[in-house]
Amino acid sequence: MNGTTIGVIAVAVVLIVDVVLLLGLVAMKTVNRRRAQSYKLRRAEYVATLSRCLASPGSNHPIDGRAADDDAFLDAVIDMRNIVTGHEIETLAGIVDGLGLARRQEARLRSRFPLGRRLRAAVSLAEIGDETTATVLIEHLSDREPEIRIQCARGLGRMQHTAAIDAILERLDLEEAWVRARFAQTLVRFGAKATWPLVAYIRVNLRHHDNEGVVEAIRVLGLIGDREVGPTLAGVLRVASDPEVAIATIEALGVVGGPLAIRPLKATFRSTDWRLRAKSATSLANIGDPSINPLLARGLEDANWWVRRNSAAGLASLPGGNEALVRAIGSDDPFARDAAAEALADCGALASAREREEAGLATAEDSLLLSHMSGQVLA
Amino acid sequence: MGEIKRVLVADDSDTVTTVLVTALELEGYEVETAGNGIEAYEKGLIGEYDLVILDQLMPGLLGLEVIDRWREEGRQISTIMLSGVDDDRTVVGSFESGAVDFIRKPFRIPELLARVRQRLQE
Repeated sequence: MNGTTIGVIAVAVVLIVDVVLLLGLVAMKTVNRRRAQSYKLRRAEYVATLSRCLASPGSNHPIDGRAADDDAFLDAVIDMRNIVTGHEIETLAGIVDGLGLARRQEARLRSRFPLGRRLRAAVSLAEIGDETTATVLIEHLSDREPEIRIQCARGLGRMQHTAAIDAILERLDLEEAWVRARFAQTLVRFGAKATWPLVAYIRVNLRHHDNEGVVEAIRVLGLIGDREVGPTLAGVLRVASDPEVAIATIEALGVVGGPLAIRPLKATFRSTDWRLRAKSATSLANIGDPSINPLLARGLEDANWWVRRNSAAGLASLPGGNEALVRAIGSDDPFARDAAAEALADCGALASAREREEAGLATAEDSLLLSHMSGQVLA
Repeated sequence: MGEIKRVLVADDSDTVTTVLVTALELEGYEVETAGNGIEAYEKGLIGEYDLVILDQLMPGLLGLEVIDRWREEGRQISTIMLSGVDDDRTVVGSFESGAVDFIRKPFRIPELLARVRQRLQE
């Protein structure tokens, strides 16, 4: 066999391999497309059947038992649950129970299936699971896969399974930051039921070296918004040595603290740490008591830009605050003037001043504000 | 026996459309569907519908934009807005645009059917 023949054979082999690969690719694409079409059709049929069940309760629209193994059915059920409410959800739950759908997903979650199928089972249980699936969801809060742990926590939060609150809290210190943040979101869904377990967690862990879980727990208290925790958070603020804990507490106090939080927040507004001063300005304003206007007006002259900005925005949101901002426009302090002007522009006071000027009704304050702003533009 | 009422259901979600079509057909209505705002607008111009159930957030045109365009074309179609967004702007905007009712998602099927019946009797 000479060199030319070998070359021809080699080229032929390469071409044949290419053609086989190409045909394989085309076949795979065709199969996938057909699978997708078939899935879409089955899902549409399931939605239609489920719709008939919901629209005429009591009527008999049998669903094949094999549907429980079909992802198209699972997706149809999850979609329907997000569209309808009230008694229809109970009807859907009855269908899901009758087919043993949740039990099959539990088995999948516990199995050695690849991550994709186990994750899908966790997502499904998070959407359709009920109290009877809580045990398996709690078990898998310590699953080796973080996304599965998150889905299990989400499901427990959706069903507000109170017994899971402590189990989720126990994970806060063990998780990485992104998982911890997602766990915290699920705690918000428990609402006031989670308030006192969170308070207990904060009290136990506050003085520990690693406070990341505590910071997250305090944020959750702020998001839940239960005003009963105001005094507890004020106490946390008094002893907090970690600035991150203090910042989270100040923020939460702005939401749940009420008038009793003004005193501790006034104290942190005098902190040497500008982050605490800036956050305190916002929280004081959130409480909505105009008695703090003079304090926030002093914040306009703070050495830090964020404190000036937050003080000005806070004043703009409070009754009588705009008067303090207009006074600051005439101040000798250029930083205070700029912070006040920016806040007045953001809250619409500048636009109103322009309208009054055009109508020939401008007040002395309007003229002061407009001349300051035109000076800024010229500068 | 009265004339069969025609209803247009416009929503970009196949699931919502299927649920509504199934429920409305079981009630004896003749139902057509549109999967986006532009299709809804065009069908509303051409077809004769006794009632339109119109989703607010659709690709192409928003539900409120569809109503506004029908009005510009001189079409007055009795419309129920359907939306997962129920902030004041959307709800008030719907009624100001001429919608006769507003239904929030997720919805209850018997309640939705009752509202449809009521509007079609008026």
